[in-house]
Amino acid sequence: MNILEIADLGVTFSTETGDVPAVRGVSLHVRPGETLALVGESGSGKSTVALAAMGLLPGSARASGRVTVNGTEVVGASESSLARLRGRTASMVFQEPATALDPLTRVGAQIAEVIRNHRPVPRAEAAREAVELLRRVGIPEPERRASAFPFQLSGGQRQRVVIAMAIANSPGLLIADEPTTALDVTVQAEILDLLRRLAADSGTGVLLVTHNMGVVADFADRVAVMLRGEVVETGPVEEVLLRPTHEYTQRLLAAVPRLRFSGEDSAPVEAAPVVELRDVAVQFGRGPRAVRALDGVSIEVRPGETVGLVGESGSGKSTAARVALGLVPPGSGTVSLFGTDLSRSRGRARRALLSGVGVVLQDPVASLDARMSVAECVAEPLRVHRRGMPAAERRNRVAETLELVRLPRELAGRGPRELSGGQRQRVSLARALVLEPRLLVADEPTSALDVSVQRTVLEVIAELQRELGFACLFVSHDLAVVQEFAQRVVVMRAGRVEEQGPTMSTLLRPETEYTRRLIAAVPVPDPVEQRKRRTGVTA
Amino acid sequence: MDTLLYLGRRILQALAVILIVTVVVFCLLHALPGGPARGILGPQATPQQITAFNHEQGLDRSLPVQYAYYLGDLVRGDLGTSYTLNEAVSRLIEQRLPKTLVLTVLSALVGLLLAVPLGMWQAVRRNKPTDYVITTLSFVAYSTPVYFLGLLLILLFTQTLRWFPSQAPQGDTLAQVLADPAGLVLPVVTGAASMVAVFSRYMRAATLENLSEDYVRTARAGGASQYTVLFRHVFRNSLTPVVAMLGYYVPVLFGGALVVEQLFNYPGMGLLFWSAAQASDYPVLLGCVLVISVATVVGTLLADVVQRVVDPRVKEGRA
Amino acid sequence: MTGRVEAAGRWGLVAQFPAPLKARFARNKLAVAGVLVVLFFLLFCFVGPLVYSTDQTHTDLTQVNLAPSGAHWLGTDAVGHDQLGRLMYGGQISLLVGLAAGVLATVIGTLWGAVAGYAGGWVDAVMMRVVDAGIAIPALFILLVVSAITTPGTLGLIVVLGLVSWLVPSRLVRAETLTLKNRDYVLTLRATGGTHGRAVRRHILPNSVSTIVVAATFQVADAILLIAYVSYLGLGVQPPKTDWGGMLSAGLTAAYSGRWWLIVPPGLAIILVVCAFNAIGDGLRDAFDVKGRA
Repeated sequence: MNILEIADLGVTFSTETGDVPAVRGVSLHVRPGETLALVGESGSGKSTVALAAMGLLPGSARASGRVTVNGTEVVGASESSLARLRGRTASMVFQEPATALDPLTRVGAQIAEVIRNHRPVPRAEAAREAVELLRRVGIPEPERRASAFPFQLSGGQRQRVVIAMAIANSPGLLIADEPTTALDVTVQAEILDLLRRLAADSGTGVLLVTHNMGVVADFADRVAVMLRGEVVETGPVEEVLLRPTHEYTQRLLAAVPRLRFSGEDSAPVEAAPVVELRDVAVQFGRGPRAVRALDGVSIEVRPGETVGLVGESGSGKSTAARVALGLVPPGSGTVSLFGTDLSRSRGRARRALLSGVGVVLQDPVASLDARMSVAECVAEPLRVHRRGMPAAERRNRVAETLELVRLPRELAGRGPRELSGGQRQRVSLARALVLEPRLLVADEPTSALDVSVQRTVLEVIAELQRELGFACLFVSHDLAVVQEFAQRVVVMRAGRVEEQGPTMSTLLRPETEYTRRLIAAVPVPDPVEQRKRRTGVTA
Repeated sequence: MDTLLYLGRRILQALAVILIVTVVVFCLLHALPGGPARGILGPQATPQQITAFNHEQGLDRSLPVQYAYYLGDLVRGDLGTSYTLNEAVSRLIEQRLPKTLVLTVLSALVGLLLAVPLGMWQAVRRNKPTDYVITTLSFVAYSTPVYFLGLLLILLFTQTLRWFPSQAPQGDTLAQVLADPAGLVLPVVTGAASMVAVFSRYMRAATLENLSEDYVRTARAGGASQYTVLFRHVFRNSLTPVVAMLGYYVPVLFGGALVVEQLFNYPGMGLLFWSAAQASDYPVLLGCVLVISVATVVGTLLADVVQRVVDPRVKEGRA
Repeated sequence: MTGRVEAAGRWGLVAQFPAPLKARFARNKLAVAGVLVVLFFLLFCFVGPLVYSTDQTHTDLTQVNLAPSGAHWLGTDAVGHDQLGRLMYGGQISLLVGLAAGVLATVIGTLWGAVAGYAGGWVDAVMMRVVDAGIAIPALFILLVVSAITTPGTLGLIVVLGLVSWLVPSRLVRAETLTLKNRDYVLTLRATGGTHGRAVRRHILPNSVSTIVVAATFQVADAILLIAYVSYLGLGVQPPKTDWGGMLSAGLTAAYSGRWWLIVPPGLAIILVVCAFNAIGDGLRDAFDVKGRA
């Protein structure tokens, strides 16, 4: 019997502006011991399906159709019968480990609670079991960590605690909603290993919700692809990932950035650097709690080239970009922009210097002032640096720049709220390029975007760079993206430069152990290749 | 170590605040018509007396020097002498403050004990009749001037129903005050009303916010019942921000006590202040302001420390 | 989904927000009732006297303490003023002073909070300690001290009330400024050579408008309540002028002898108007989705 059986599921959300269907006619099943990956881009309804399977849909949602977990109907079931099911027959692991745990309850107690929700074991016995579970999910010193509060653990450890809660009562079904999306790539590899091992040990069926094709290739037996609330393609992982039949799946897979394993370095640029960080150190806070965000960092970007700044969270890559922009003053060391020491220039001269820089930041929502129209957003640098420019000329310039980033002129009058994430990032790009800068600093410009949208935005940047010849400091956590777009790469770790050099030789023949581990941890969206790499790593 | 560091920082901040308060009070003292001399010698003093006094007390020196002297007096606990009651202000406050503390602490306790369950109940029944009724009532309670509410309560419970005495306990000592609990009921209820209104709103908002947090979904995914979710997780998480607000509510409580004591003729610091205002007894007025401000600063400090104990997250660099 | 109403003016409020704002506000029945109550009292106090004209300057000792009747709908007070007329007359002061003081407090608080939040560092630390000190001194006590020193006129009253109640809005605006100055669009502007002035003028202030409007609404409610206390403390406007708080405290002793019409109407008026402003503030806050007083 299938542990999870979904037949003709429909979910509708009632919103302020009327009913919005999120899921339509979805049918799928999970057998004991197998992993079904539910993939799709944001808004495809994949998370809604997962929540519906647990009976955890928010109050504004209405579900229709049938969902049975181990033979028990979930749709329309009472809250108390669902509570008996959850945590015992079916469990769930969520995306955001930072917020998934009660901040005021010790992690051991949270695991024990799940045990005691379903089994009448004494408190002390549940506490012992909780420690055992922590050991099973690979938390070091589980006796001590059981009495830790969530904030005292790292993101990866927190996710392990959530997993421990999920497996506490050996459920038949484990639903994992983007379980590694918020984690660094090396941690992601560990968590995926853990989930795979736990599922294999106990014959648990897994419904894995993800947008990441590498994770799918690494973990899934079968795949269901969702598009706008419907399942468009289902099949074994090799079939779907290597020989997709549906046009959308083909498009999606084509857009996924892939790590390549061969290639040549591009010719080095000889001209003087546009921006140069020399031996920069930055410290946040004072006294014993001070954090060294950067330590002895030297980076340079030469005209026309793209330098990829990669690293995991906390590596200092964003701080380094902010130092280059003059937003964070270096504690020691120097920053020179276009050959001028940034810390020595003030007032008008500094502003003139900075007019040669364009900036695109990560968050498509926070990057644009929602109170301004698209035209006003793009025109802002003109108003700052070309104050004498007549209004008509400014309007023209804005329209031209919008077209440059492949946005229709008509968008000029719209508000950012009306645009999609990809459109917003292109508006940010237009704002960054309207003054024809010599340097573009892009901090994770596409990380918040779906892969197909990411591809378009990256292509626009690359194309404009060829056309306009600006240099680019490109901060990213995604090695595949950096490999594709950067000529040189700087790998950062814990505030220091781990290694740097031409992209291909650095990523194909890394000199440091850390870089090697980083590359090995990236799952490739090819199940056959990924299986080879995984066994290679373990061996 | 971390906690000590935090405490040290927090105490330094509190001292800075108290210093600013002394500056304000000092300025008020010098804004008096005739300056502090008039305040201390009384309204009948002649200009000659004032000049002589000013010279004798060093009040003809520059303001910063005088401020230094004033601070010196404060540090020694000298708040001046009341010219209507002919007693040291510090002594007067020492007698009256405990009674006011009884009133305010009882009001705060009653207020919180009512507000917390009400707020949670509202959050659970959000946008249902219960929620609307309690919301409307708390708006009304917040919007009613304390003296009007007190008057209505007196009219209802002492004139019409005759359940409680209209006067608060009159005894000089704390024991005498506590020996007459019936007399304390109306003053405490009057003082607690707006607190119930404000804190039930805080609690409602905090509970709603926590109910939508991810950890609630995790708990439910682990099979937790509604009861467990609400009382084991949401309750504690919602209470901490509410506790933090408590410190800032101390001045409001004292403000309420000022009116309540006058209305029920309760011989606490509020009444002392009130009579001092009628008689323009400036040393008493400013001494009371100073003491209450210090009490507020200490209250805020305590609330922060309590929150730090209750909420382990605060320890992590949020200072 | 969020059709934008085209900007009629840069500072026009409605034009700055997506259309659903009005819908979201309208769904809050208490808030809508609040708007109606405020409108009613504005008409009642400022247009009412044109329809129902009474003498509120001269005392008429032949007509004192009359119970409500056909001639005096709400009776008369201890010096023979018609209570209904006095309710309108006193309401003018209460509403006017409340609105003005609330707005003044919000303006002071906004400037103080914006400067502290944007400057940061030790400037912020010092400015916020001043706010802490202000919060530590209960407003009623300061008002009583002021009343012992002097009796201000209407304008003086507005200034005094404004000066004792700007602290809460300053904290709200500071918190808002702290978040806004680290928004990506402000960072982008600063990184590409935009001035502090431009960041504050074009981004931080306009984006704080909702917070400020909500704070102002609550501030007006508190100010109207505070005037009632001020009159009770004897600092209010002097006879023959009056306000609702003045009427209430004048009628306090009369209440013990059963002359309810002297206290119930002004008491209800205060409660209704303060409730109304609080409900409006609540509705606006939910509609704007800003943080603020719970």
